[in-house]
Order: sequence, then structure tokens, then C-alpha cells
Amino acid sequence: MNVLHVLFKVDGTEYAMPAADVVQMESFTGATPVPGAPAHVAGLVQVRGRVIPVVDARMRFGLPAGTPSLDSRVVVGQLGERTVGLLVDSAREVLKLDPRTIQPPPPMVVEGAKGFVKAVAQVGQRLVMLIDFPRVVGEETADVDGQR
Amino acid sequence: MSGTGEFAEFLPAYLAEVDELLASAQKDLLAVEEAVRKGLAQPRAVRELFRALHTLKGLSAMVDVEPVVSLAHWMEASLRLADQAGGRLPESSVEPLVEGLRAIEVRVRQLGAGKVASPAPANLLERLEALGPQVLDAAPKRARPVMLDAEAAFASRLAPSEREQLEGGLSGGQRALRLDFVPSSERAAKGLNINTVRERVAKLADIVKVLPLSGAAAGGASLAFALLLITRAEDAALLEAVGGPPAVVRSLEAPASAEPAAVDVAPGSAVLPASAVPPGAAGLEEELDEPEVRRGGGLLRVEVSRLDEAMEWLAALVVNRSRLTRAVAALTQAGAPTRELTAILQENGRQLRDLRSAILRLRMVRVGDVLERLPLLVRGLRRATGKAVRLELDVGDAELDKAVADRLLPALVHLVRNAVDHALELPEERQAAGKAPEGLVRLTCHARASGQLELTLRDDGRGVDAKAVAKAANAPVPDSVDALLDLLCRPGLSTRQEATRTSGRGMGMDIVRRIVVEQLGGELRMETRKGAGTTFTLSVPLTVTLMDAIVFECAGRRYAVAVGTVEELIDVGSVVRPAGADGLGLVERRGAAVPLVSLARLLDGAASADGDAGRGTKALIVRQRGEPVAFAVDRLLGQQEIVLRPLEDPLVRVPGVAGATDLGDGQPTLVLDLGALGAARAGRRKRAPSRSGEWVS
Repeated sequence: MNVLHVLFKVDGTEYAMPAADVVQMESFTGATPVPGAPAHVAGLVQVRGRVIPVVDARMRFGLPAGTPSLDSRVVVGQLGERTVGLLVDSAREVLKLDPRTIQPPPPMVVEGAKGFVKAVAQVGQRLVMLIDFPRVVGEETADVDGQR
Repeated sequence: MSGTGEFAEFLPAYLAEVDELLASAQKDLLAVEEAVRKGLAQPRAVRELFRALHTLKGLSAMVDVEPVVSLAHWMEASLRLADQAGGRLPESSVEPLVEGLRAIEVRVRQLGAGKVASPAPANLLERLEALGPQVLDAAPKRARPVMLDAEAAFASRLAPSEREQLEGGLSGGQRALRLDFVPSSERAAKGLNINTVRERVAKLADIVKVLPLSGAAAGGASLAFALLLITRAEDAALLEAVGGPPAVVRSLEAPASAEPAAVDVAPGSAVLPASAVPPGAAGLEEELDEPEVRRGGGLLRVEVSRLDEAMEWLAALVVNRSRLTRAVAALTQAGAPTRELTAILQENGRQLRDLRSAILRLRMVRVGDVLERLPLLVRGLRRATGKAVRLELDVGDAELDKAVADRLLPALVHLVRNAVDHALELPEERQAAGKAPEGLVRLTCHARASGQLELTLRDDGRGVDAKAVAKAANAPVPDSVDALLDLLCRPGLSTRQEATRTSGRGMGMDIVRRIVVEQLGGELRMETRKGAGTTFTLSVPLTVTLMDAIVFECAGRRYAVAVGTVEELIDVGSVVRPAGADGLGLVERRGAAVPLVSLARLLDGAASADGDAGRGTKALIVRQRGEPVAFAVDRLLGQQEIVLRPLEDPLVRVPGVAGATDLGDGQPTLVLDLGALGAARAGRRKRAPSRSGEWVS
């Protein structure tokens, strides 16, 4: 059965996560930084009356910082009781991925992606990284020890 | 005339509510009477009385108790005028109002006893109707224009309603004053801080606003709180309440119109014989049956303020527990046998969590109970509009914080009213359009994850006509449903020329949006299809915490902090910066040195090279582990009530950040707990070489 996925781009690479885990997508107009939060947390945004943390995908993936643009999107995901946003460079596509095209990631990708990529899907000529959303978001709590 | 039969099921709720309204109305009327006898205005009691009667009228209209509606109507009308005249009533008006209230009570008791309410006495109605003109005659506005001393009253920081309240108090013969309270550690030790001062002053005066001031204040201190008051109390009593000098009292009345205040007596009142006023309370008991004792079936009505109080004590307990935890940790580290202590502490923590959720549950009310008035409302609308309407409620057993429910109900009433009045067509129109003659309004709700309640109100009416709305708003036709909703929510928008009896002139969508989005921090959405109907979806948080906060700016961002935690606001004048302290400063406060921390650096987290950046010109003094610490900020922006939204996600649950709030710009603003923030950062630097180093971030 084909599963609907939301596709987004970070630093030129395409990523995807199941649409069922995505609540909505919002354009990004800046986040309120939270002092002491883990470094990959861009800050807080207000989405339809709720205040949610936003994880900066570039920071998380160890990529050079980007400049927010009109294309920047916050992919708002549901993680059990938690609602967390993921800041990405752009997100335009929703695709049905055929499970048969989804393969475990090559070892090199696994290593480079710190476990954030759990599979790779082939869409025509393109390779799409399926992210492990819970791991990307992380559960790191307040950084009390000062190691930012 | 009715109140029986078809309304029987609504009657208990109606009676309970009316009972409360009558009780408060009687209390307020007595206060008004006393003020009237002294020739004074009593704006607050007049306004409360007006509100009580207004609500009473509305409720009675729903259950179709015509006699009470007419009585309440004329009383309300005159009180509205009195309210506009600064809360002043002529003496002659008291007796008819007392009689009117009594007549209402008699009829409510009749309903309670299963009887039919008797018609309102015609001559009483006439006398009540005649009150309006009398009130206008007595209105002091023309007699005594008042002016506020703009500088003393901080005119630029006053909301129009606050200004009105002050001027109303002045024109009503009271004194409008500014009382400056200067906090100090000595006063704090005697239990005098801004919160206790508020309480003490509130007993003597109506507090219109409290403003934190920085800059030179009386007595050489550099901070004060200015309390703007309406009062009849003596200066001495007020000064006493705030601990005497260096507090000062000054009049807010502009010198131009200054004249002895108490001499002013309403022109209308002198004409009437004083004997016309009966001795209030005693007269009210006559003719009334013994009030029926209602058993609550195990239910208890509790004032919300008492629940809030319990919550505050709990918060104190939680703070204390974390101190205990730290103390035990220190003991453990020192090698003391603390195993049992630690176990007790853990259990204590669980108990506190349970206690907290139990107290929060106390504040929850069933959504179904909140909405029980809506069927009545729809009944009334059906009669008033001649439309056939069916209201379906599907609310399950969802629960909602009382504070949210109270704010939400008016929004729902507006939406239901609009649905019946504007959206649904007349039966003939509906049939012509191939619809059932009876319109359907359906309200559903369900609790979502993450502490939100979603309410959906759907009608099967004509849908919102975007072109008509655009025309009424004098704007281009909106291209999306969100834009259409924006237009609908413009203040004062109406697609009708004439005011209708039920909805008035406007559609009140601006009020709905303000309640849902601004007051509750929720969300309002709309879907509409021409000819098929409109659906409004409201998402609101299940609970809200309201608090007074000081809003300030630091390093280009706004922050809020609870007023109660701030001991003092000071100007950062001369700062001593000991060598090697790396940015830590000391300021002098009444002979004692207080450490000064740059909040910008604290928040930034990284030791910035330019030590002078963001040093700040103002500072908030907060107790951190019992010791005063000054946090330097760039600019104070004022004080306001905010909705505190706690940050639940582990990613952003950090010490020192109590939560976030929306100051109206749609961006979250952090609500800081400065004491905890400073302490958390200090803890990070435990191994720093010098004590002063702990302020460095």
C-alpha cells in the first residue's frame, strides 16, 4: 500500500516523513529563542493559537545555517502528545511512496546522518531520505550544564 | 405569561442563576442607596447593578417570563444612563428600583413554587419608565466638567476606559488620586510589597490602575509604583496603608477645575423628600416566601478566587520543595545518610503532583453545563425571528477550566445568535431552495490532545455572502475564506442597515475573535458555502492562567515577568564594576550593594566579548535564593494582564522560563522567572573560580 508522505528540502537534499504525522505546514516568520534550550531548537512559534517548539533541521543535521526565506516552512508534526515543528528550507510536495522503492539507507548515509535517516526511497530519478522524526526532534531537555 | 410547561426543564438552572443575580443586585442597590443619601456617586455598584439586571432580563426573556423582562428592562434602561453619568442616581430613583427588585423577586419565587408569574404592576412600570429622564436631569456632567492632570495621571498610559473611570469618579464627587508606593526591603520585611499594598488600598479605594515607575521617586528611591485611585478615603488613611512616607498622595484633578469635591450635590436630589427612601433591607423581606432550600445533590458552589488562593499556596509549596530537594542533595553530597529522606522526598513530589491536578480539576466545569443556556437562547430567537430552528448539541462529557468557560460562553452566544438571525433563511425561502423548512444549528465539541478543546458550530443556512460583506466593509471582495473571516471580524461590521431586535446592529464577530484569539489564545476558523451553510471552528486551551506582568525589552526582544516577583524597578545609574568580575556590577540601593546582572548576557548564554553591550538602563530587582539581585534590561514597556501558557514540551522546558504569552503580535513572548533563571545560570558556574564569576554567562 502506498503511503502518503510530505516531502521537504534541507540544503538541497530531499527528505520525507509520513503525512499522517504532519499536522500542518506553516510559513516561517521567525521564532522566539528560548535561553537554555538545546542548540537545535530554533525557538517557539505560535501556530493556530498554540505555542510549539521548532527544531532547526539544518542545525540538527549539522549543516551550515541557512537564511529564512519565503520558501522556509515549519512542518508541524505530531509525536504522541507532543506537537513539534521542524524548520526546513522548503516543502512543496506531497507524494505517495511505494513501499517497494523504500530501502534501508546505505551504511555511509547512516553514519553521516546520525540515525536521523531511517530509509531511502527512490522516486523516479530522485532519492528521498525518510527521516526518523522522533529522533530528529529529540527529547533533549533543558541544557542546564551550559554545553550549548 | 408562562414559566411553566415547556420551560420546566430549564427552570432549575434559571432559578439558580436568577437567585444569584438578585442577591448581588440587592447588595449593590443598598450600596447605591447609601451613596445617594450622601449625595455621592457609586459608579461600581451602579455598573454591577446594571449588569445584573441586564443579564436577568436576558435570562428571563429566554424562559419567557414577560413580567420580569419588562421590570428589568426599565430598571436597566435608567441604570445604563446613570452609569454613563458617572454612577450618579437621583434620590427619587431609589424607591422605584427597590420596589422593582422586590417585584422581580416575588415573581421568581412564584415560578419556583410552580406557579405562574403575575403581571408586572402597571404603575410600577410607569414609575420605572420615568426614571430615565430623572437620571438624565441629575446627571452631573453638564454641572461639572472635570479634567485630569495629564502628567500626574500618565495620560498616555491610560486606556480610554480607565480615563473614563477616573473622570467619572471625579465628576461623581469622589477624589481621583495618585498614590505612589515606594517598596523597600524594610517594608518588604514588614509584609509591605506591591501585592499586599494593592490589597490594603483596595479596601479604601477603587484601584483603577497600577503603574510601575522608574526614575527619581520621592524619598530618594529610584523606583515606585503609582496607584491611580478613586476614593473617598483621607490622605492619611491611604498613606498609612502603604507604610507612610516616602509614599505620596496627589490629586489627579487638573488645577483649572479644582474645587472642593464633597460639596457638589446632584441638582435633582435636593427636590425630593428624604422620607421617600425606605430603610432598605428590612423592606425587601416583606411579601417574600421563605426561600426554598435547594439541596445541591453533593455539589458545592465555590468562589473561583478561593480556588486561585489554593493554587497559590500550592505554588509556594512547590517552590519550597525544590529548596528542600537542593538541601537534601547537598547533604547527600556531604556524605550524610539520606536514603530515607530521599525516598520521602520522592513521595512528597508525587503527592504534590496529585494535589496540583486535583486542584486543577476543581476548576473544570462540564462543557455541557456551560452550554445549557443555548437551548433557551435558541427558543427565544425562534420566537423573535419567526424562523424554524433546531439546535443540536453534541458535547459529550468534555471539561473546561471555569475561567475559559466564562470567557467562551459570550462568544458562543454571539455565534448561535448570528447563525439563527443572519445565516438561516425563513422557512419559505428554505423550501424554495429545496431545503427542509427547519434550519439546523449544530454545536459539537471534543477535547484534542495537547490540552485544546475544539468546538464546531455549523448551520445549514445561506452561507456568508462574500460580496455583501465586502460591500459593507467597503473593501475588495476577499479571495480566500480566511480573508473573508478577517473582514467579518472588523469591528462594527454589519451587512444590515437596520438593527435587528436580536443581534443588534453589528454581528459581533470582532468580539468573538477577540475572545477566542486574544483573550483565550485560541484559534477561530470558518468554512462557508453559498446556499449550504457556514461552519465556525473554535480551538481554545482547556485552561488558562492569567497574571499581571511587567513587560520589558532586552536586547531587542520583549519579555514579561510576573509583577508579584518584582520587588523594585530601578534606574541603573552609577555602576561599580569590580575588576575581574567580568561584567558583574554592583548598584547601590539604600546603603546596600546589590549585584547587577545583565539580563541580555544571561539570556545570550555565551560570554560576549563586548562587555558593555546590552548592559541596560533599567533594572528589575528580584529575590534570587532570598538575596536581592538587579537584572538590567533595556526598556520598561508597562504592566498588563497576560495569559500565561506553560511550555509543556521537554525541548523547551527550561528553568527560568515560566511560559509564553501573546502580547498581540502573534509571536510568543517569553514569560521569565528571573530568580530561577539567575539561579539556574549560577548553578552552571559552580566551579567558577570566584564568587562574582557566577554572574557571568
